[in-house]
Amino acid sequence: MSDETRFLYSGPQELLPTLVNALERVVDPEVALNIVDVGLVYGIVVKDNRIDVNVTMTSAACPVTDTIIEDIETQLDAALPPDMLIHVELVWEPPWTPERMSDTARGFMGW
Amino acid sequence: MDARAHERHGPRLHGLVTPRMVLGGALIACVAAALLTAIAGGLLRVGIAPVAADAPWLTRAALAHAALMMCGFLGTVISIERAVAFRHPAAWTTPFASGAAALALLAGAQGLAALLLVLASGAFVIVNALLLRRQPAAHTALLLASAVAWCTGCVLLAVGADSTAVLPWWFAFLVVTIAAERLEMTRLMRRRRGAQLALHLVLGALAWGAACSGFAPRLGGVVFGAALCALAAWLLAFDIARRTVRAEGLSRFMAVCLLGGYVWLAIAGVAWGATALGQPVRDIALHALGLGFIISMIMGHAPVILPAVTGVKLQFGNAFYLPLLALHLSLAVRLAGGAADLHLRAQGALFNALAIALFAATAGGAALVWRQRQRQRQRQRPRRISSEHP
Repeated sequence: MSDETRFLYSGPQELLPTLVNALERVVDPEVALNIVDVGLVYGIVVKDNRIDVNVTMTSAACPVTDTIIEDIETQLDAALPPDMLIHVELVWEPPWTPERMSDTARGFMGW
Repeated sequence: MDARAHERHGPRLHGLVTPRMVLGGALIACVAAALLTAIAGGLLRVGIAPVAADAPWLTRAALAHAALMMCGFLGTVISIERAVAFRHPAAWTTPFASGAAALALLAGAQGLAALLLVLASGAFVIVNALLLRRQPAAHTALLLASAVAWCTGCVLLAVGADSTAVLPWWFAFLVVTIAAERLEMTRLMRRRRGAQLALHLVLGALAWGAACSGFAPRLGGVVFGAALCALAAWLLAFDIARRTVRAEGLSRFMAVCLLGGYVWLAIAGVAWGATALGQPVRDIALHALGLGFIISMIMGHAPVILPAVTGVKLQFGNAFYLPLLALHLSLAVRLAGGAADLHLRAQGALFNALAIALFAATAGGAALVWRQRQRQRQRQRPRRISSEHP
C-alpha cells in the first residue's frame, strides 16, 4: 500500500505529496518510525482553506500525545500556506492495529 | 472522538502567572524535593553526609529513602505522565497527594504521609480503571494491576507492615508499569505465539512473590527474584529495543537505556532470590533494580517525557550517553565490590548520585541548546500565526 492511500484523503490531489512529506517528518522516537508509517494518520480533509487531520495513538495511556500533535501542527504549519487553518483531532475509533503499519515499518520491525 | 481538538495556536500571553503555572511549579518542587532528599538520605545510609548529618530532615530522608524515591519521586512522575495522558483534572489528585506525602515524610509526619500515599495510590487505581475502560487492552489492564500493587504497598505501610512486605509491592508497581508500556510497544512487532501469556504468567509470579514476602519472606523473595529474571529474559527476547537500537539519535539512546536496564533487571532478580536465602546482597538486589533498571528507563525516556509534561523541549545529543555510562559504571563498582567492601559501596553510591546530577545537568544543557536553535530557526523564517479561530 503506498503512503498516499494509507489514509482517507479528500482535497486537492496536488497537495497530497506535500502533506505526506510533512507528516512523515513527525517521528515517534520510541519506535523510531514516522506517524504515517506507523499508521496513526486516519484521514485528512482539505476544504475552504482549512485542513482537518484525524490521528490516533497506539495507546490511550501515551503521555507524548500532545507532543506528537504539536509536531504535526508545526510540520503542517511549515508546509502549508500561512492563511490555511489547521485542525488536528485525536480519535480513538477505530482502534489502531498493527495491520495499519506500512511495509517500511513492518520491515524495520522484522515482520 | 477526543473532546479536545488542536488548532493552530494564536499568540501567547507573556508575563501572566496562571493558577495552573503555580500548581505546576509546586508539583515540580515536590518532585525535585523528593528526588534530592531521597538521594541525600541514601548517601547518609552508606555513611556519606552531603550536608550537616544532624539535620532532622536528613535523618528522616535516610529512614524514608525508599518511600521518597519510589512513591514521592517515581510515583509522582509516573502519575503525572498518566494524568497528562488521561486528560482530566481529577487525575492530578495522585501526583499532588504523593508529592505532598514526600513533604510530610520530610517533616516527620509519618502517619499523614502514609494516609496521603493511600489516597494517591487509591486515586491512581481509579484513573487506571477508567483508562482500561477507555482502551480495553492487555497493556492498560497491566497498568491497572501496577496501580493496585502500589496501593497494596501503601496500605501495608499505613497499617505498619515492615519493609520486607512493603518494598516488593512498590517495586512490583514500577516493574509492572514498565512491563505494560513495553508490552504495548511489542504490538509493532510480529507477536510470537504465547509471548503475551508468558508475560502474564511472569507478572503473576511477581505478584505472588510480593504477596508471600510479608509472611513467608524466604519463599516470597525467591519467587519474586525468579520472576524478575524471567521478565528480563522476556524483555530481551520480545522488546522492540532490539530493533530500535539499529536506528539513530534519540531512538538508539532509548534502546541502549532499555537493553542495559534489562541486564540489571536479571542481576537484580538473582540477587533478590539470594538475599531471601540469606546472602548479604540486599544492596545489590535493591539498587540493580532501582538504579540499574528503573533509573535507566527514566534516563531513556526523560528526553521524550520531560517535554511532554513540562513543555520544555530538549535537543538530544550524544552527551546524554555520558550520564548513562556513569550510572552503569558506578553501579558496577558499587555492586561488584559493595558486598564485601563497604568503602567501595559508599564510593559507588556517591558516583550513582553524581551520575544522576550529571544527567540533570545534561538535560538542562539540552533545553538551552534547543531554545538557542529555536531562536535561530525563527530568525530564519518569520513566525506564522493564524489570524482567525473558528
